[in-house]
Amino acid sequence: MPKPDSRKRFAPLMVAATIAALALALGLAACGGGGGGIEGGGEKEAPKVKLEGKPSGSVTISNWPLYIDKGTVPAFEKASGVKVNYIEDINSNEEFFNKMQPLLAKGESGDRSIFVLADYMVAKMHQLGYLQELDKSGLPNVERNLSPSLKHPGFDPNRSYTVPWQSGMTGVIVNTEKAPDVRSICDLFNPKYKGKVDMLNEVREAVPLTMKCEGVDPSQASEADWMKAIEKLKAAAESGQIRRFTGNDYARDLTSGDAVAVMGWSGDAVQLQEDNPNLEWRMPEEGCMLWSEDMVIPVGAPNPTAAEAWMNFVYEPKVQANIAEYVNYVTPVEGVKQVLAKRNPELANNQLIFPSASFTKKCSATPVIEGQEEQNVVKAFNAVLNG
Amino acid sequence: MSSVRRRLAPYFLLGPGTIWLVLFFVVPLYYMAKLSLESGFVGSLQFNWHWANYSEALSAYDTQFVRSFIYAGSATLIALLISYPLAYTIAFKAGRWRNALLFAVVAPFFTTYLIRTIAWETILSDESPVTEFLHAVGLAPSGHILATGPAVVAGLTYNFLPFMILPIYASLERIDQRLIEAARDLYASAAQAFWRVTLPLSAPGIVAGTLLTFIPAAGDYVNAQFLGGVGNRMIGNVIQSLYLSQADYPSAAALSFVLMALIMVAVVIYIRFAGSEALMGEEAR
Repeated sequence: MPKPDSRKRFAPLMVAATIAALALALGLAACGGGGGGIEGGGEKEAPKVKLEGKPSGSVTISNWPLYIDKGTVPAFEKASGVKVNYIEDINSNEEFFNKMQPLLAKGESGDRSIFVLADYMVAKMHQLGYLQELDKSGLPNVERNLSPSLKHPGFDPNRSYTVPWQSGMTGVIVNTEKAPDVRSICDLFNPKYKGKVDMLNEVREAVPLTMKCEGVDPSQASEADWMKAIEKLKAAAESGQIRRFTGNDYARDLTSGDAVAVMGWSGDAVQLQEDNPNLEWRMPEEGCMLWSEDMVIPVGAPNPTAAEAWMNFVYEPKVQANIAEYVNYVTPVEGVKQVLAKRNPELANNQLIFPSASFTKKCSATPVIEGQEEQNVVKAFNAVLNG
Repeated sequence: MSSVRRRLAPYFLLGPGTIWLVLFFVVPLYYMAKLSLESGFVGSLQFNWHWANYSEALSAYDTQFVRSFIYAGSATLIALLISYPLAYTIAFKAGRWRNALLFAVVAPFFTTYLIRTIAWETILSDESPVTEFLHAVGLAPSGHILATGPAVVAGLTYNFLPFMILPIYASLERIDQRLIEAARDLYASAAQAFWRVTLPLSAPGIVAGTLLTFIPAAGDYVNAQFLGGVGNRMIGNVIQSLYLSQADYPSAAALSFVLMALIMVAVVIYIRFAGSEALMGEEAR
């Protein structure tokens, strides 16, 4: 064989390098995530919503999937004359925040007028100056009908920039046929169900629930308590006890029988029962986690007048009853129970939708972690997720 | 005039590709490189030649790197073992079925990557007939198959199989049958003719196929996401989680560059090892 000259020997390398580079470029593009400068932020005084006469025009609302019934948006459009662009593009608080953050830092909202995000996330966005203060004169229904227990949360004592969308409970969802004796968070660690248990991939849910199993009150937890609970999760992950960490996708594992007990959200269970009557949400013996998700108006939001009109509209008990009937989470609106009692008494008496104070006695609110402590905890938890 | 035009023609032809590459590869790469050397938190990131991002990323995620390369390597090997006989059959033995078989190879591409992967979730699910069969004949260890490393490798193999089959098929199909006949005329056995004529002549296809499978498989995150469980995350999942859930952009960018560099090194070594003509085929000779 003739000895190839150097240029020819180099050519295959160039081709290989180009293929490698292109393949990687594709791979990275698939990983999503924008690069570029991330500037701005810091503590700022929040701008305030300016109402302009009657609502009109159009408004874009970002929410989570399956979080509203089919009738409410058309009903609002008919009642107000506002055209609604309702998009279900939120799947995770962090992911949504990280997607919007570069825009918000420039004072833009990506043409969206309302986001629906968890308490801790809206608190963080408020701190960064990404949210507008609401004009309460446009929200009489909210003033009147907001559930008293939600009126003065720690992160927004006067509800000046948030309006709750739905609340809910995080506990365990079990397949009563295959795991009848799972009644607590600690039971999820029972080796009998090795490889058949999913845990949540949300640090603010999975870790506090684990703490409750260890007898620690999440609201009083120190960084060491967080780390200890994460260690427990890590050990369970490495032993094969935990099948995988999931978000809503635990629904797939439960319906296929791949998982028999998971950490899960109350509203999901009510919907899952329609597929499989053996699936049941249980209040863990240690108590549950209570959370709510809030509607907020971001900086740069177009048509805030219509956005407030929407917030006000869904606080009409009759309207909210339709949403509650569909989503099955804990409704933040007073008067819904009375509306439902007439047409759907079974639902009106469901503890998952209208929990009594005694039912949620041992439950804890989503704990606050901030700054360096948050960094450390999130890092340690992600190390467990990434195995 | 016409000679000037003739001289410039190649540059015009290169134009669209070059612009595309600069705009969508070089420019983003520059921003990524810059990002990978920044430090601080989202909202207050600063560019300060923070090289520690690289060493920290590499030491924190070495397990996932090794895992990604093992998964991608296994998938490539299995895909090669499946593809070669298949491509050989299509090229030489299929007769009038050739086009139908080629179509069957490409047909899965009519559904999206994501849907195909999710379908495997159902196939490997704990109570599926496939899993029960594998358990019954003792081909699978006890416990579940879905949400384990082998499930991820199976998904990777399946998803990248056509990228292996098609280049091998293309290189086999081009082989001049008279060369094989000549080998037989010179008293080579069928096996000898295969090892000394057919296989070397199809080497370019093998090299191209392994690269097209290994490179995207090493950076893949979809298969590990759906088919993997605890302890099966690949480096792509880590990068995704750093970007989207932890907002640690600098580490994510640094990891992306480390991945790129490692793959580049692996590919260069492979090309050297596989011989220089293999990739270029006869043209390089």
